[in-house]
Amino acid sequence: MKPPRLQLDSVTIRFGGLTAVSEVSLIVGDRELAGLIGPNGAGKTTLFNLVTAVYQPTEGTIRLGGEPTDRLEPHQLTARGVARTFQNIRLFPSLSVLDNVRVAARLHCPHGLRQSLWRGAAFRAAEAAVEKESLELLNIFDLARYRDEPAKSLPYGNQRRLEIVRALATRPRLLLLDEPAAGMNPTEKVALTQLIREIRDRFQLAVLLVEHDMQLVMDLCERIHVLDHGVKIAEGSPTEIRSNPQVIEAYLGPDHAL
Amino acid sequence: MKRHPQLWLLAAIILAAVLSASARPAGVNPYYLGVAVDVGINVILAVSLNLINGHTGQFSLGHAGFMAVGAYVASSITLGLAARFGGPALTPLLFAGSLLAGGLAAALAGLAVGVPSLRLRGDYLAIVTLGFGEIIRVILQTTDAVGAASGLKGIPKFTSFGWAWALAALTVYVVACLVNSTYGRGFIAVHDDEVAARSMGINTTRYKVTAFVIGAFFAGLAGGLYAHHKQFISPGGFDFNKSIEIVVMVILGGMGRTAGVIAAAIVLTLLPEVLRPVAEYRMILYALLILGLMLARPQGLFTWERRTGAKPGPQPT
Repeated sequence: MKPPRLQLDSVTIRFGGLTAVSEVSLIVGDRELAGLIGPNGAGKTTLFNLVTAVYQPTEGTIRLGGEPTDRLEPHQLTARGVARTFQNIRLFPSLSVLDNVRVAARLHCPHGLRQSLWRGAAFRAAEAAVEKESLELLNIFDLARYRDEPAKSLPYGNQRRLEIVRALATRPRLLLLDEPAAGMNPTEKVALTQLIREIRDRFQLAVLLVEHDMQLVMDLCERIHVLDHGVKIAEGSPTEIRSNPQVIEAYLGPDHAL
Repeated sequence: MKRHPQLWLLAAIILAAVLSASARPAGVNPYYLGVAVDVGINVILAVSLNLINGHTGQFSLGHAGFMAVGAYVASSITLGLAARFGGPALTPLLFAGSLLAGGLAAALAGLAVGVPSLRLRGDYLAIVTLGFGEIIRVILQTTDAVGAASGLKGIPKFTSFGWAWALAALTVYVVACLVNSTYGRGFIAVHDDEVAARSMGINTTRYKVTAFVIGAFFAGLAGGLYAHHKQFISPGGFDFNKSIEIVVMVILGGMGRTAGVIAAAIVLTLLPEVLRPVAEYRMILYALLILGLMLARPQGLFTWERRTGAKPGPQPT
């Protein structure tokens, strides 16, 4: 059997006396749309930072396609096919829309310092290929017409989408979205749901998303993992999660438990 | 221009060489030629520091230190070899070799300082690089082999207008080509947001060290040119003030704006010369003009659209 795209085995991280994530195990399969939910402070973003090697787990192992990721730097992890977006948008503000995407394409660009200075035919061909690929991605998201504008001048919703384009330019096999719908209006949220599904189909990748908007998570995700106080309390399909008493208790308090 | 920047570099170097060769026969005032050399050297210093402080967003205050390494290594070589192989035919070769050695020594120093200290950011990095510059100065001041506090005298006058401007053109070429490529956009990404850059697969440490080493290399070249221009160097000439002078050029030109930084280097080199008639008020006027320019154009001398002031600060990720 093929190993899953992402596998966490009882992953724990402690910051001093605080256990932010405790013995969490989860599996995200190839091309799966997975959701990670939980009340504020449940450890969702910490878990993201563990998966992207920003933090190293105190205990437990994280595997990508079967291979452990300990001792990898975040940039090496990106080279292994993990890309992410951020809860607070983190575009490169002084670069144009196109250049934001081209930075991410660096990972698959064959040349380095020497070729950048020599600028031979191979260099120009590679630069043209990077530009073409970046523009194609921008086109899919209807952002190509803003190519030369500074990324920071885009409206909020487009900045969020540009962040997804930038992540896709690294050619990931696992895409992590940290609250992609934050600050979006209902129409934009519906479009986003559609878009994430299209991304999965088109790029054949797995998606793990953290999101507070229950409607979106329930509509989109095939499998949902619920965290509370750093512990995984439930896992299942949207229907199962919706009727899980522990989940309801975590969100609404014990009085509302059925 | 975009397709073949190499041709522009070649043209600039040939132009500098031709102008330089024809200046003396044409009877150009040597004082002007001397100022032109100063301009070239300062362009090299400012544009190379701009790669570190502007494009890559690291705050280095040690540029005079790297310049000193280049100046001392290059002049020690020429002083040692010129006596033995003093033929005029070999002079350009000898000079090029000693400049290169000075640049490489400075690059090595850049690597040695950069690797441990580039984990630090902002003010902390500034303090470490400042300390490095001072260490270099103190070492030179106490090393008898290079003349200690009295410095090195009688360095042959190899630097001409042509050398200074050709190498300035090379510096501009290298920095401009670097940041305008898929590889080099990584420098700007590191400047804008290190966390995001890392998660896009950019090895931020490596980029920072690279910027540091390349910047130091050109500072070393500039130091070699300077030594063979003034024919005398002493540790005092490479102190903290010199570093600040270069930082001012970069800030005034607009961090990360190559054209603006070149312009600022030219303006700030000429300004003290133009102000010579007012003698003792010269430095006061110079300071006031910098203040005025900073107030009028805080975004840089030649920056027309405003760069965003709001850098994404440290955020929980």
